[in-house]
Amino acid sequence: MKFVVIVKPKKGVLDPQGAAIKKVAEGYLNEPIASIKSGKYFEVEIDSDSAENIVENLASKILSNEVIEDYEVKKL
Amino acid sequence: MRVGIVNFLGTNCDKDCLFACDTAGVKAEIIQYTQTDLKNFDCIVLPGGFSYGDYLRSGALAKFSPIMRSIKEFAEFGGYVMGICNGFQVLIESGLLPGALLKNNNLKFIHKYVYLKTEHSQCFFTKNIDQNTILKMPIAHGEGNYYCNRDTIKYLNDNNMIVLRYSSKNGEIVQDCNPNGSLENIAGICSKKGNVFGLMPHPERVVGDLGNDGEQIWNSLVG
Repeated sequence: MKFVVIVKPKKGVLDPQGAAIKKVAEGYLNEPIASIKSGKYFEVEIDSDSAENIVENLASKILSNEVIEDYEVKKL
Repeated sequence: MRVGIVNFLGTNCDKDCLFACDTAGVKAEIIQYTQTDLKNFDCIVLPGGFSYGDYLRSGALAKFSPIMRSIKEFAEFGGYVMGICNGFQVLIESGLLPGALLKNNNLKFIHKYVYLKTEHSQCFFTKNIDQNTILKMPIAHGEGNYYCNRDTIKYLNDNNMIVLRYSSKNGEIVQDCNPNGSLENIAGICSKKGNVFGLMPHPERVVGDLGNDGEQIWNSLVG
């Protein structure tokens, strides 16, 4: 089974990378951008009957840090 | 006291820590991340570096090393643990200390000397340093911007768990002296019992001919 895991900063946690990209992008495009948040993207393939549990564990315990990040798991 | 200095894949300050222990007259040896038996040690040091290339998040992969499970148990039973720079990141990721270390707010790798104010805390490693003492030490990191939620910062303050704050030469805690955007200028915190200590500055780089500001921390291990 194939999954995509997206990890992004929690609401309210500073994202200096997103802020820097936004600043440069606005200057280059000369267009206003309300907000850019940067995160991480993972493609995961698991051959197991319990793939959904495994990917959930992977996303919550390894790929993200619950103090600063939220995650989403999407089944492809 | 016998000190074990952990070498993860990508650690690069282990020999400096060994030198610092030698200078302070503390028995120490470098141990590998695969080791699980810590019964010969009273203190474990997690040195700086780039464990596992800092992939995913700093310290995020090192926390799954075999030695970390033993270190958690070691700390629960009151063993002394100090994490410096990347070692601090590993302690935070492992949940041995609360909060998170974000990218520096200017996105740069910062390497320079900073002044640190010693707070009143339970920390074992600063027990010989008077409150309000100003220490000068170098920092060298890209992700040292301490962050935690409102409840956690209150918990840290209420339980005297904040050990070092970035300050001016005279000890003023002001934003101008905050190199990386850390919450409340935090440079180092300890566990509630004071036996686990994590800090971003490098005390092992201020010993011997380089000064004694770092040595004051290593001296806590003498005896």
